[in-house]
Amino acid sequence: MSVTPVTSVPRTARTSPALLEVSADNWRLAILVGVVVSALGVAALPASVSFWIVGAMAAMVAAAFVVNAYRRRYYGGLLVTPAIAVLFVMNIFPLLWSLGLSFFAYQSNQQSIRFVGLYNYIKVLTNDIAAPDNWNALINTAMFVVLTVSTQMIVGFLLAMLFAKQFPLRKYLLILVLTPMMLSVVASGVFFTYYYDPTFGILSYVMNSITDGQFILMDSKAGAVAGIVFADAWMWSPFVMLLVLAGLVSVPKYLYEAAAIDRVSAWRRFWSITFPYIRGLLMLALLFRTIEAFKLADLVILLTKGGNDTMTISYHLIRIANEQNKTSEGAAISYVMLFMVIVLTNLYLYLAKRRNREA
Amino acid sequence: MTATTKIKGVMAAAGFAASLMVGGATISYADEVTLTMAVPDWPPTRIMKKFFDEQYKPKSGNTVKLDVDFIPWPDFYTRVNASLTSGEQKYNFIVSDSQWLGAFVEGGYFRKINDLLDADPEFKKTFMEIHPNPLNAYATYPHKSENYYGFPQFPDVLVNFARKDIICHEEEQKNFQAKYNKKLPCTGEELDAMTWDDFRNVGEFFRRKKGEMLAGKPAEDDFYGIAFQAGKAYDFSSMQINGFIWQMGGNIWDETQAPSGQAEGVVNSPEAVKALETYLSLIEYMPPVAKTGTMDIFKEDELFREGKVAMAVNWIGLGEASLDPKTSKVSDKLVFGMMPGTKGPDGKMVRWSNIGGQPFVLTTWTTDAQIKEAVEFVKWWLSSDIQHQFAAAGGQSAVKSVYSDPKYVTYRPWNRAWAPSLDWQKDVWHVPQFFELLTQQQDQFDLAITGKQDAKTTLDNIAKFQQNLLTEVGLIQ
Amino acid sequence: MESGTSIWERMGFRKSSGVAEAGWGHTLVVAGVSFIYFLPVLFIIFTAIKPQALALSVPPTLSPTSLFGLIPDQFVFTPTLENFGSVFSRVMTAGGQPEPTGFDRFFFNSIVIASVSVLLALVLGTLAAYGFSRYPLKGNDTYLFIILTTRMLPAIVVIIPVILMFRAAGLSGSYLGIIMLYTAFNLAFTIWMMKSFFDELSPDVEDAARIDGSSEIKVFLKICLPQVIAGLAATFVFGLILTWNEFLFALLLTGPDTRTVPVAMNQAVSSGGRGTDWTLLAAIETLFLIPVFLVTFFLQEHLLRGVTFGTVRK
Repeated sequence: MSVTPVTSVPRTARTSPALLEVSADNWRLAILVGVVVSALGVAALPASVSFWIVGAMAAMVAAAFVVNAYRRRYYGGLLVTPAIAVLFVMNIFPLLWSLGLSFFAYQSNQQSIRFVGLYNYIKVLTNDIAAPDNWNALINTAMFVVLTVSTQMIVGFLLAMLFAKQFPLRKYLLILVLTPMMLSVVASGVFFTYYYDPTFGILSYVMNSITDGQFILMDSKAGAVAGIVFADAWMWSPFVMLLVLAGLVSVPKYLYEAAAIDRVSAWRRFWSITFPYIRGLLMLALLFRTIEAFKLADLVILLTKGGNDTMTISYHLIRIANEQNKTSEGAAISYVMLFMVIVLTNLYLYLAKRRNREA
Repeated sequence: MTATTKIKGVMAAAGFAASLMVGGATISYADEVTLTMAVPDWPPTRIMKKFFDEQYKPKSGNTVKLDVDFIPWPDFYTRVNASLTSGEQKYNFIVSDSQWLGAFVEGGYFRKINDLLDADPEFKKTFMEIHPNPLNAYATYPHKSENYYGFPQFPDVLVNFARKDIICHEEEQKNFQAKYNKKLPCTGEELDAMTWDDFRNVGEFFRRKKGEMLAGKPAEDDFYGIAFQAGKAYDFSSMQINGFIWQMGGNIWDETQAPSGQAEGVVNSPEAVKALETYLSLIEYMPPVAKTGTMDIFKEDELFREGKVAMAVNWIGLGEASLDPKTSKVSDKLVFGMMPGTKGPDGKMVRWSNIGGQPFVLTTWTTDAQIKEAVEFVKWWLSSDIQHQFAAAGGQSAVKSVYSDPKYVTYRPWNRAWAPSLDWQKDVWHVPQFFELLTQQQDQFDLAITGKQDAKTTLDNIAKFQQNLLTEVGLIQ
Repeated sequence: MESGTSIWERMGFRKSSGVAEAGWGHTLVVAGVSFIYFLPVLFIIFTAIKPQALALSVPPTLSPTSLFGLIPDQFVFTPTLENFGSVFSRVMTAGGQPEPTGFDRFFFNSIVIASVSVLLALVLGTLAAYGFSRYPLKGNDTYLFIILTTRMLPAIVVIIPVILMFRAAGLSGSYLGIIMLYTAFNLAFTIWMMKSFFDELSPDVEDAARIDGSSEIKVFLKICLPQVIAGLAATFVFGLILTWNEFLFALLLTGPDTRTVPVAMNQAVSSGGRGTDWTLLAAIETLFLIPVFLVTFFLQEHLLRGVTFGTVRK
C-alpha cells in the first residue's frame, strides 16, 4: 500500500541560508565547522577527549539538519534523523569499520595490519583448507533457516488462528504460549540438553520405557538437527503468532460486516479481507525470523557444539573471529553471509511487492 | 512551536541523564592501589579473594584493594580475549589457561616477569620452588624457555575418581577375579597400579542394565563402569587423548623442537594411532551421552556424582562437588588414585598426562606502583602459610615445600595422588595458533568419538592440518 | 472485541449452522494445546522449587503434588523455596559462609537497561516509522533496507569496533553505553514493525483532519497514534523480550556493576567448580521470567484489542 505524500497543506518556500550566514538552519556551515573542529580535535587531543568533540560536532550538524528540515517542512527527514543518528553511531559505523577490516590482514591479538585487497574473500571462498568448512557451515545454515523458519511460520500461524477467537480464559492461555520466547536462550538451551540427555533426560526416559532400548536423540545428524530445530521453533513460534494475531485483530469490523451483507464465501473473505491485514506482518515475521535464523549459534553451541555436522556459519564465525582472533577473515565471512541475506531478503521484498501490486 | 520545546526538553533531560550515568561510572583514586583481576567464578578464585580480604596486610603500608571481576567459566575466555584484544586495558591480573600464553604474550598483553624475579631474590626463591612441570606449563613462553610470565593460581591434574561401595564389594571382587584372573582394584594403591587395560576391564565388567544386580542390590538405573572426557567443546577430549598418546610412545607436535620438529609423521605415528584406538575402544563402556560427543568434563562429573559410573578420570578441580553430600550421591563412598598408566617395555609404569589448571599473569599496562604491590601480593600468595590454607580449603599447591609436607595428603582424599602425578605432567602447545590447532583437533576427535571416522584417518587429518598451518606461520621449516 | 462477532467468525470460519461464540469447548481445546506448549517452561519452574538432590533423579520428578494420587509417587517431589534464596546469597567456597551473589544488582540492571532502551527505541523508532510511512524520502526503501541490514550480521562482527568506540568514549561498563547500544539494536525492528502498522491506516481520515485544520503534530498524536496502540504494545513486548535476554553485548560491554542477569546466569551453568547447578539455574530463570511475563500479560489487552477507533468506521 503506497502512501502519497500529503499535498493539501500549503508549504512556504524558504530559501536556504548562504554558506557563511550564521543561522541555526545553516547545515552547510555546520558541516564545515564540524569537519574542521573534528579534524583538529582528533589530531591534537587524546582519543578520550576527541571522541566527545567529534560526537558534539555530529550533534551540531544533526541539529542544523533538524532545524533546517523543520523550517522547510521536510517532515520526513525531521522524523527519521534521530533514529538514523543512533543507528549510525552504534551500528552502521562499526559495521563499516569491520567491512574495512575485511580488506586487511589483521588479527585482533597482533599489532600488525596490512592491506590485502580481496585476499580474505578469496581465502574464505576458495582456499582448500579454509573454504570447505565455510561452505559446509553455509549449507547447514541454509538447512536450519528453511527448517526453523517454516516450522515457526506454520506453528505460529496455527496458534494465532486458535487464539483469534473470543473464548473464556483466553488471555490466561495466551500468556502460556507466549512464555517460551521470554526465556533466556542460555537457560532454555541448557534445559534442552537436559530434556535430550540419554541418561537423565525425559525424552530418553519416555522412549526407553516404550521401546526397551537405549534411546539417544543427539547421536545422529537427523536427531541433532531435529533437536535444535524443535528447540528453536518452540521458542520462536510465539513470535510469529503474536505478529499474526496483532494483524488479525486489527481488521476493522465494518469490513466483515460489509462482507457478511454481501454473502461472500469464507475463503474469499479470508483472502480479500483478512489476508491483506496480516500480509505485511506475516512478511515481517518471515523477514525477521529468516534474519535471526541465519544467526543461529547459541542453541547449536549449547546442544551439539557443532557436532554431528550441525555447524552453522554464525558459530563458525564466532570461532574464527573470537576464539582464533582472525578478525579480518571473520569480517570477510560475515560480509559473504550478509550478501546472501541481502539477496534473500530482497527476493522476499520483491515478491511481497509484486503480490502487493497484483492484489 | 510546542513540538520544538518538547523535543528540546526531552533532549535536555536525556543529556542530563547521560551525564549522570557517565559520572556515576568514573571512580576517583585516593592514595590507594587497586589491582584489578579477571578470574573465572569458582571456588579456587573465591578462596583467593576471601583470603586476601581477610588476611592480606601490605608491607608497604599502602591501602591495597583487590578488585576481582568474577566471570562465569563458560564465557571467561570470550570476555578476557575481547578485553585484551580491544585494548581495553582493564585488568592488571588475569587468570589464564596455560595454553593461552603464546597468543597473549605475542599480542603484547602479558608482562614478562624476569626483571621482577631478578630484582627480588626472595621472590625468585619462592618462584623456583614451584614444581618444574607446572612451572614450565604455567609460566614459560616459548615453552620451557627461561622467559617467565605466570604464577600458579589453581594447578590441576587428572586423577581417578572411584566408588568404594561398588569396586570393593565382596561379590563383585569375586566375580571380577573369576572373569579376568586379576584383583579388582579397591584401595588407592591398587587404583594407582591400574593400566588402561584394567580400566577397560572395569568398564566391561560393570556394565549393568537397570534391575541387574550391582554390589548386592538390583541397579536402580543403567550403570556404567568407566568415564573420561570425550566431548567436542574446548579441550574436552584432547586433554585425555594426549595422555594416551604420550604414554604409548607417541607424541603431539612438539613446540620445543620448532622449527625442525614436524607434525606430519609425528602426530600420526603408528604409536599415536594405536593410542587413539585404545582411547576410542573405551568409549563403548561409558554412559550413552559419550556417543553424542557432549561428554565434557562437567557431564562426566555429573554422571559420577549421580552415581551412574563406577570410575571416572577427571580433574581434581571438579572434585570438591563429589565430596559434598549436598551435590553428590556418592560423597561418602569415594577413593582416589592416579590416572591409569601404561606398562612400558621395561615393565615400569608410564604415566604421562596433560596438565590442567591455570596460572595468573600480570598485564603490560600495569603501572610501577601497581607492580610493586602485585609482586608483594604474589609473594604472599605463594608463601607456605597461604598455600597450606589454600590447600586446606580445597585448592591445590604446586609449591614443593607445601605439597611434600606430610600434612598435605590429609587435606583432601585425592592429595595422595598429587605429588607423584606432578612428575608426569606435560602440556599441549602454547603457540599463538593454539586455538586453531585445538579447534581442528577437537572437531576431528569428535568425528572419531562419535564413530564416523577411524583413528588413522583422524590423526592423518590432524597432522596434515597442523603441518600446513605451522609451516605457513614459520613454526615448521 | 468486547461484544459482537469474534474474529474467528469474521474470518469466515463460522459454520452455516450458526455455532455460538466460542465457549468452554474451545477453551478446553486451546487449554490442552497451551499446556503442552508450556510444559518445558513448567518443568523449569518446577525445577526451581525442587530440592537440589532431586534435580537429576531418574525417573525425573515432575510435580510438586500428586494431584490426589493421580501422579505416581516416584514422580512427585516436595517443593522448597531454598533455591530462590541461593540466587541472592549462597556458599561460594567449601565450608565457607553464605556470601551475597550480587544478583539483586543484576536484576536491577536488567530492568533499568532493558526498559529505558526499549522505550527510547520505541519513541525514536515510531517517529522514524511515521516519517518513512507518511513523508517518504528520496530513496525511502534504501534507507529502510539499510536499517534492516543492521540486524543481519551476528553481533560478534561488530564487537571489536564497538569495544574500541566504547573505550575511546569511556562508555565501557556504563549504563549509558549499553543503553544506547540496545536502543540501536532495537531500532530496526521497531521501525519496520511500526511502519507496517502506519501503512495499514487509511490516509483518508488524516486528510480529512488536515482539511479541518489540524496541525501535522495533532494528526500524528490524535489520529494516527491511537490507531496503532496494538502495534506499539506488540513492538514494546518484542523489544523488551529481545533486550531482556541479550547476551553478547552485555557480556563484553558491562562491568561488574552494570552486569545483567543473562550474563550472570552462567554462574549457575558452571557453578562452584562443577557443571550446571540445575535448581539454581531454574530459580534464576524463573525469577528473571517474572518481570517480562507480567509486562506481557498486562499489555496483552492492548495487543489483542481490535483497532476500533471511532473515526475509522464510516
